[in-house]
Amino acid sequence: QPSDAATLVADKVQIAANRTLEAQGNVEVLYRTTRLRASRVVYDRTTGALSIGGPIVLTDDQGTVVLADAAELSDDLRDGILSSARLVMDRQMQIAATEMQRLGGRHTVLSKAVASSCEVCAKHPTPLWEIRARRIVHDQQERQIYFDSAQLRIAGVPVFWVPHLRMPDPTLDRASGFLMPRLVSTSRLGLGVQLPYFIKLGQSRDLTLTPFVASKDVQSLGFRYRQAFRTGEIALTGALSHDRVVTGRRGWLGAEGRFDLPQGFELRFAGETISDPAYFRDYGLSDKDRLDSSLVISRTRAGEHIGGRLVHVHSIRSGEVNATLPQLSADIGWTRRIALPGIGGTATLAFDSHAHRRASDMDMVGRDVARATLSAFWRRSWVGPAGILASVETGATFDLHRIAQDSTWPGHVTTVTPAALAELRWPWARVDGAGNSDVIEPVVQLVWSRRTTANHVPNEDSTLVEFDEGNLFGFSRFAGADRREGGTRVNAGLQWTRASASGWAMVASAGRVFRLNGTGQFTAASGLGGKRSDWVTALHLTAPNGTLFQGRAVFDPRFDLTRGEMRLAMLRDRYDLSAGWLWAEADAAENRLTDTSEWVLDGRLKLTDGWNARAATRHDFRAQRTTSAAFGLEFLNECMRVDMTVQRSFTSSSTVRPSTSFGVSVDLLGFGNARGSRAASNSCRY
Amino acid sequence: CGFSPAHAPGGAAHALRGAVVLADPADRNGFDFANRLEDRLGRATVPRFRLDWSVAAEPVGAGITPTGAITRYTLKGSARYALVRLENGETVTSGNADSFTSWSTSGSTVATLSAEQDAHRRLMVILADQVVARLIAAAPQ
Amino acid sequence: GAQGMSVGFGGLQQDTGAPVEVTADALKVDNASGQASFDGNVVVIQGALRMAAAKVTVEYGDGGQGIRRLHATGGVMLATSAEAAEAAEATYEVATGALVMTGSVLLTQGPSTIAGERLVADLRAGTGEMQGRVRTVFQPGQKGGN
Repeated sequence: QPSDAATLVADKVQIAANRTLEAQGNVEVLYRTTRLRASRVVYDRTTGALSIGGPIVLTDDQGTVVLADAAELSDDLRDGILSSARLVMDRQMQIAATEMQRLGGRHTVLSKAVASSCEVCAKHPTPLWEIRARRIVHDQQERQIYFDSAQLRIAGVPVFWVPHLRMPDPTLDRASGFLMPRLVSTSRLGLGVQLPYFIKLGQSRDLTLTPFVASKDVQSLGFRYRQAFRTGEIALTGALSHDRVVTGRRGWLGAEGRFDLPQGFELRFAGETISDPAYFRDYGLSDKDRLDSSLVISRTRAGEHIGGRLVHVHSIRSGEVNATLPQLSADIGWTRRIALPGIGGTATLAFDSHAHRRASDMDMVGRDVARATLSAFWRRSWVGPAGILASVETGATFDLHRIAQDSTWPGHVTTVTPAALAELRWPWARVDGAGNSDVIEPVVQLVWSRRTTANHVPNEDSTLVEFDEGNLFGFSRFAGADRREGGTRVNAGLQWTRASASGWAMVASAGRVFRLNGTGQFTAASGLGGKRSDWVTALHLTAPNGTLFQGRAVFDPRFDLTRGEMRLAMLRDRYDLSAGWLWAEADAAENRLTDTSEWVLDGRLKLTDGWNARAATRHDFRAQRTTSAAFGLEFLNECMRVDMTVQRSFTSSSTVRPSTSFGVSVDLLGFGNARGSRAASNSCRY
Repeated sequence: CGFSPAHAPGGAAHALRGAVVLADPADRNGFDFANRLEDRLGRATVPRFRLDWSVAAEPVGAGITPTGAITRYTLKGSARYALVRLENGETVTSGNADSFTSWSTSGSTVATLSAEQDAHRRLMVILADQVVARLIAAAPQ
Repeated sequence: GAQGMSVGFGGLQQDTGAPVEVTADALKVDNASGQASFDGNVVVIQGALRMAAAKVTVEYGDGGQGIRRLHATGGVMLATSAEAAEAAEATYEVATGALVMTGSVLLTQGPSTIAGERLVADLRAGTGEMQGRVRTVFQPGQKGGN
C-alpha cells in the first residue's frame, strides 16, 4: 500500500455505476496527518472531489480542529470550502465563520469571522472578549493569524478597531511582535504605559525593547538581550530613562550568565549598576539596598569541592560610605574528604584563602586584609552498647592574616587552633501498628578548642552571630575565620521527630550550651553569652492539609526572648495565607541599634470563580510604622487575565521618598504559547 | 512504652548503618548536605541501599527598616529524598523535609557575605538531620 | 439512471444475458433437486465475467435449460475486465444479475480497493453496496483514475 494513500472507513459504502463512492455511517477519512470524521462522504473518483455531510470534525497534528456542517474538499483534504465552520486552535483559540476556505493545506481563510478564546455558553452567548473581522487568515506554516478590519469587543461592546492586526497562534513559542501593554501609575512618575516589543534574532538570541512613557515627563527605554551558547547563556538587562525626579540621564544595567567550563567546572557571573541610589525604587524594579556583582567558578564532586569567588558590593544604603566599605573581596576554597583505611573514619582537609580591599587608603579606615587558612580534621563513629552512637573528631586550623593600611594592627598574625570533641547520640524509635512513628534523639557533646587571645585580628567576617539547631553542635559558631570559638564547653540537645498516619509531621528540638570557661566570646544578644547559653528551640509542623508552621526561639531561662522567628503558610483552594514574624534584640556589635520586631503578612482570597483578591503588608512594631502595603485584584479565566495592583512603600530616607504605585495589565489569553497561565474554563452551568 | 534504641541490633536504624550509598552532590549546598548525611549514617561499607536526594535553598528578604535597609534575610530550604533497596530497586521510603535559617545584613559587606554562607551551611545540617530522623522512623526491619 | 452512464468505465456492469459455462475437476448431479455440484478448481465464465472457486453448486432453470443460480464456497475470486473481487462465499442470480459476496470481501477497482464484510451488487445496473466496517484505500490527487 503506497505510503501517501488515503483511507476512507465507513459503516457502508455504495458503489455507483459511474464509480463514485457514497460512504455513510461513522465515516472517517485519513490522509497523512489530517483526519476527517463526518456522517456522509461522496467521493467522485473521476474528479477527486469529496462532498461531505456534517457534523464534520477535521483535525491535524498541530492541534488545530475544524468543525463544520458541510464541506467540499479535495481528496487530500488540503483544499476546499467548509460552511458554518469553526476553527479551534490548541483547544484555546476559536474562530467561527459562515464560510471557511482551506488553501493548499496551509492557509485557512475565514470571512466575516469572530475570534475568541472565551467559552461561549447557551446561557450567556456573548464571550467576554471577541475580535470580529471582515476576514481572518490563519497561516498554519508560519503559525500566525492575520485580521483584516478587526474590531475588539469586550462583553459585546466594541472598544477598539484596527485596519490590520497580526497575532501569533497558540502553538507559537517565539515570534517577533508586540507583547501585552501594561498601564502603570506611580506617585513619582505619574500615569504611564509600557509597550514591550519582542524581537526574535534567530534560534538562540532575542531582544525585548520596552518603551515606557509616563505623565511626569518620563521617557524610558528598557531592554533585555538574551543569547544562548552551546555551553551556556547570558542575559543583559537595563534601561535608559529621563524624568523630572532627577535631572539628566538615569538608568541601570544588569548582566548575568552561566557557562560550563572544561573538567566539570562551571562559571556563573551576575552584576548590576545604577545611575543613582533611588532609581530602583522610583521605577519599582527592586528594594535592594546593596548592589552585589559576583563572578563564581566552582566544581563539586563526591568528596571534593573547589570554589573561587570575586565579589564587588556597592552600597546604596543611606549613611554608608562605599570608600570605607570592603567593596571588593575574593575567596578561593578547596575541600577534600577521604576515607582513611586502617584507623577508619574520614579525614577532611581544607584550604581557604580570602582577601578584601577598601578603596580608601587612609590609615585604619582604609584597612585591607588577606587571609589563608589550612585545616585538617579526622572523625570516627562507633555503635556502642545499647545503640549509643559515639563519635570523636579532632584536628587543627592554621590561620595566617596579613593586615595592611591599619597601624593599630600588626602586619602579620598567625593563629593555630587545635580542637577536639566527643559526641554521644542515643536515638530511640517507636513505630506503632497504625503507622505513627516517633524518633527521640538526645545528643551530648564535649568540645575543647584552644582559646586565642581576644582581638588578635580585626573581626571583619564574624561579627554577625546566629544561634540555631544548625550550629548548636560543632566546633565554632562564628560565621567566618577571624574568630574561632575557644574553651571547653558541653553542647546538649534533644530532637523529637514524629510522623502520624493521618499526615501530621512534627520536628521539635531544644538545646543549650554549658561553658566551663571562655565566656566572653559572644554578646548576650546573640544568645550565646555567659556560662550557660540561652535555650535554642525550634518547632516545625506540617498538617495533613498542607498547612506549614516553622518557628524558632532563643530565650533566656526567664523566657525573655533574645531572637524569635516564625513562618506560617496555609494553602487552600479558597484562600492562601502566609505570615512571618521576626524579633531580634538590639545588638551594637551587629550594628542593630534598636530591637527589630517585624510582621509580614501575605494573603489571597478567592472572591468568585474568576476573581482573587491579594493583600500584603510589612509592619515594624518597634518603629510603630508600616514599611510597605500592597493590595491587588486579579481576574483569571480561560481567556482573559486582568491584574490590578496598588503598592504603597512608606520607606523614607535621605535618598528615597515614600511612593505609591498602581499598575493594571490586561492579557487576552490564547495568543502565543502561554502554557499554564490559563485557568481551567468553568463549564457552562445550565 | 514501645520505644527501643534505634541503633541497637534489631533497632530501626541498625539496618541503615554503613549500608547507604549517597547520590553525588553537584554544588556547595549538596556537598555540605551529603557530608552531614555520611557523618550521621556512616560511610557505605556494605552497600544495600541508595539514597537519592536533592536540596533547594531560596533567600527571601525578611527584615526591612523604615529607611529601606534590609537587615535580615530568611533562607527557606527543602530537601527531597528517596531510599531505594539496591537488590530490587524498590523504594523503601521517600519524602521531603523543610526548614529555614536566617542571617543579618546589618554588618559590613564582608561580614554579610560570610553570614550568608554560614546560613547555607547551617541549613544543610538541619535538613540532613531531619532526613536522617525520617529514615530512622521508616527504616526497614 | 446508472444504466445510461457514459462508456469508458469498467464498472461492475455485465451482460447478464450471455451463456454461462462451468468447468471443474469433478461433477455430481442430483436430478431430484435439479442441482449439480462442481468440485475442485471450479471456473465459471459468462462473457467478460470470470469466477473461480473451490466448490460451486448450480441450480438449473425449470426444465433443466439455463443455469438459474450459482452458489460458490470455499473462497471465491471474481474478475471482470476492470475489477476483481474476492470473498469467502458468493451467490449469483444469473437472471437478475444479483451478486452477493460475503466473508472479508475485497473489491479492487484500479488503484483503489474497498474491503468489507458483505457486497451486494446488481451486475446489470453496474451498482453495488459494501457493508460491515467498510475500508476504502485510494490515491488522492489522481484525477480520472480508470
